[in-house]
Amino acid sequence: MSAVSSPAGTALLKLDQATIRFGGLIAVNKVSFELKKGDLFGLIGPNGAGKTTCFNIITGVYKPTSGQILLNGRSIGGTPSNKIARLGIARTFQNIRLFKSLSVLENVVTAGFLRHKTGLFSALGYLPPAIHETEQLKREAMRLLDVLNLADVADVRSSDLPYGKQRRLEIARAMATQPQLLLLDEPAAGMNPYEKIELMEMVRKIRDEHDMTVLVIEHDMRFVMNLCEHIVVLDHGEEISSGNPDHVRSDPKVIAAYLGEE
Amino acid sequence: MDLANLVAALDFSTLPQQLVNGILLGAIYALIALGYTRVYGVLRLINFAHGEVFMLGAYVSLFVSYAMGFGPGSTRDSTWINLVIMLLSSMLVCGIVGVLIELFAYRPMRSQARIASLITAIGVSLLLQYGGALILPNSPPPSINERVNPIQGTLEMSLVGPDAGLLKQADEAKIAFTQAEDRYKAQSALDPKAEQASTKGLRDEKNAADRTYNNLQRRLDNSGVRLRVPWGQVIILGTTIVLMLMLTYLVLYTSVGRAMRAVSHDFDSASLMGVNVNRIVTFTFLIGSMLAGAGAMMNATFIGTPLTTFYGLQPGVKAFVAAVLGGIGNIPGAVLGGLLMGVAETTVVWLGYSSYRDAIAFIILIVVLLFRPGGLMGSNKVEKV
Amino acid sequence: MRYWLIRLGSIALAIGGCLLLDMLVTGQVPGVNKVDDFGQRLVVLAGLYVTLAVSLNLINGITGQFSIGHAAFYQVGAYTTGFLAVTYFDRSGLPGPVWVIGMMLISAVAASIAGLVVGLPSLRLRGDYLAIVTLGFGEIIRILVQNSDKIGGSYGMTVRPKFQYIWLVWLLAITCIAVCRNLLKTAHGLPFLAVREDEIASSAMGVNVTRVKVTAFVLGSAFAGAAGALLAHFEAFISPSMFTMDVSFIILTMVVLGGTGSITGSAIAAVLLFYLPEKLRDMAPVSGAGLVAGVIGVLAAVAGIKWLISNYHGSRLNRGIFVVCSIVAGVVIQIVFSMVLRNVPALAATQFEAAKLRMVIFAATLIILMLVRPQGVFAHHEFSWSWVQRLLGRRAPTKEVAA
Repeated sequence: MSAVSSPAGTALLKLDQATIRFGGLIAVNKVSFELKKGDLFGLIGPNGAGKTTCFNIITGVYKPTSGQILLNGRSIGGTPSNKIARLGIARTFQNIRLFKSLSVLENVVTAGFLRHKTGLFSALGYLPPAIHETEQLKREAMRLLDVLNLADVADVRSSDLPYGKQRRLEIARAMATQPQLLLLDEPAAGMNPYEKIELMEMVRKIRDEHDMTVLVIEHDMRFVMNLCEHIVVLDHGEEISSGNPDHVRSDPKVIAAYLGEE
Repeated sequence: MDLANLVAALDFSTLPQQLVNGILLGAIYALIALGYTRVYGVLRLINFAHGEVFMLGAYVSLFVSYAMGFGPGSTRDSTWINLVIMLLSSMLVCGIVGVLIELFAYRPMRSQARIASLITAIGVSLLLQYGGALILPNSPPPSINERVNPIQGTLEMSLVGPDAGLLKQADEAKIAFTQAEDRYKAQSALDPKAEQASTKGLRDEKNAADRTYNNLQRRLDNSGVRLRVPWGQVIILGTTIVLMLMLTYLVLYTSVGRAMRAVSHDFDSASLMGVNVNRIVTFTFLIGSMLAGAGAMMNATFIGTPLTTFYGLQPGVKAFVAAVLGGIGNIPGAVLGGLLMGVAETTVVWLGYSSYRDAIAFIILIVVLLFRPGGLMGSNKVEKV
Repeated sequence: MRYWLIRLGSIALAIGGCLLLDMLVTGQVPGVNKVDDFGQRLVVLAGLYVTLAVSLNLINGITGQFSIGHAAFYQVGAYTTGFLAVTYFDRSGLPGPVWVIGMMLISAVAASIAGLVVGLPSLRLRGDYLAIVTLGFGEIIRILVQNSDKIGGSYGMTVRPKFQYIWLVWLLAITCIAVCRNLLKTAHGLPFLAVREDEIASSAMGVNVTRVKVTAFVLGSAFAGAAGALLAHFEAFISPSMFTMDVSFIILTMVVLGGTGSITGSAIAAVLLFYLPEKLRDMAPVSGAGLVAGVIGVLAAVAGIKWLISNYHGSRLNRGIFVVCSIVAGVVIQIVFSMVLRNVPALAATQFEAAKLRMVIFAATLIILMLVRPQGVFAHHEFSWSWVQRLLGRRAPTKEVAA
């Protein structure tokens, strides 16, 4: 499914001393970590720690000031967002950014469209290749909506969905690009405990059945600790701890960052 | 057409005069642009009807001047009090009209898509142009009697004195001419009829000296750089500066101004924080329209263009360009944009391309926006992801 | 097989329909009277405005790029054709229709190059800044043409020969509608809509925002250019005053009034908005009393409808009935007032000519329509049979999507 499979031994995604500064502010300072194929990886930290900025560097919204970002060993720092999506990294947004006036199905088809093969003229003339491709994309999109339990609302305007479903639609849309790596930015924000458990199972299923590597930003500690196998903790743009959930949980630096130093 | 010829054809001694004219023109643009910028700042709406408010202001000044006895052909003498009455009534009426437009045309649209308000604005603008033409006198286009302006003179300034060498030469030529003239007069008085030849010789001599003198005198006139500004235009500049300072004070140092800034920063939050948003929007339209009214009165009185109901169209568009150029929503930006626009226009005329004077505004705008997408003094906000 | 039958059938139907319209209008159908020259001109201009509005809708409504200088592309097309026809037509020896279709293609290319030039700044500019640049670009083109003596300057240029192919005008309009509709019916249209909704999210989903925006500008301006070519040959005279800012504003108004993004809305609004001022030309002079009474009546009706929209939440049918009621009430108020005001000598004596009133009525209609229905007449809906059925209250069968 993935465009380029990662060679044995190389990391799927590697941040090497990635740094970005806005004027005098260093939002992300020399952050390095590696994701292997099939990882369920968590990125946590207090507010303003630079988590979302990390996502923005990885997905090409910002260009890193220094340091490298490697996808399958290839440097992608500063590549435009739309090309990064084609290289196999997809993301969701913390402040939901759906295509509001489009239907749920159309949102997902739009993301799947990056694999289109027919030309624009085929569409303008409503010729068979474009028609068939459209149908094909719709079928694929429906399959994804099934996975995320959204099939029954496929024709609903996406802005009319309840909050929790909008978050799930964000995930469906990102998955429609068929990425190797899926970045989820606070997917559980605003969900009730029941929805969170449902979401957790969904993310596991995505990793296991859809052959994707997942990197999650999340505030809810219990959610991350239960879901992720490896966690990196950021504070004030710097990496203060990393390891498995048990290690991170007991790291005094992490406790200090969250509770404040005494 | 090569550059050398182009440069040779230019008359650099008139350049300062043109620049001054540009600044005077720009002052009017800036006044109108301030209205655009304030309204855009709080509502994010391009108030296309602002130019028509300007037009109404000019008509109000006209009617007030008629009422004070300065109809067409009147030769009465005026005092400055008449000007103040015209200015204040124009500002007042424009302010009211602006507030009414906001109340009836824009306020009901506020919750709708911005493009809908924009179309309403275009509608209001057309309504005032064509509806005004039904009622207001516009053919033949009337203009304000210039006798209403009590200060008719021209301010003259010499920037660069005449060339000293030329001055000396001219003095010598003048002496030579007087001498030749005296000799000729003496000869012809001595014997009016006889010796035609000698008189004729002296006369030719005198004429030649006269020509040399006149020639030098002309060169002398051109060698200095002088400015001529009608006093009326000096008043425009002065009033504009005073009004801008007042606006700046209002926005920066009063509680209403603080509320205005809060609304323009974040409309919804401001209303949550207890700012009476509707009152502030009304106030913004009042101030913006009053500035347009002031500009209209001064433009109609001191520059004296005939009035039609399309009087506000060109200045309106240019002022809007000026506001965008400076960075829309930004007060110093509007002033800078207006001045730049005025100077650019007169410079183009000076260069000899007067038929492109309406295009230059847009050319500058496009070039500036390509390099600074938020305008000269505006900030290009990056969307938070 | 069935697909091709339907496709070719609808193409044949479109061409046939246009030819029939042409024959009807020019009196070639026995038993039908020829429409006079003025009427023919209206039919042609209405067709051109449909093309212009629908093509601007592609840029403005569908892709969400706020362009308000569409007349510029129209002008580029018209002048390209004007210049080429005067210079080369006699030498070309081509038959009329072939020449005009050729000119439409060349003008479309010329206009789309202009569209490319305007589309490029759209990559960096947003919203109102883009709007003012497109407006400025239109003005610059007009002033450049005004100063080029070779193509007639501000006096305009005569285009020879005069070709009045009414069928071609409407065929272009239909083509333009069909192309936009096709785009939206396939997945290729989704990136355009996505760019309108959220550029950052589109980009993250692999949409090449740059390419989408430029494509929209190029396509939209190409159709405007082709329309310009037809205008030049139909009127046989073009001048810069035919392409002023007002023309751009009117096209924009058609798009917004029809419902931004709705192809159906743009097309219908184009025809209505074009005919309204033309119809008003024939209006009888109105007395001052009539005018004042009319204004009062309209205000009353609008106030009534506005109040209903915000305060009444009953069924759609009842609402419709109440809207009709408030319009009737407005008319009654108007009649009463005009009877009363007739006794005021100052108002009864003044007369307003139709020629002066028509733009006033046009402007007032615009404001009122926007106040009453700001999302445009069609909002974001498209004409389709299921939509009509839903509108009539019957549930349309929901589309089946193969899972």
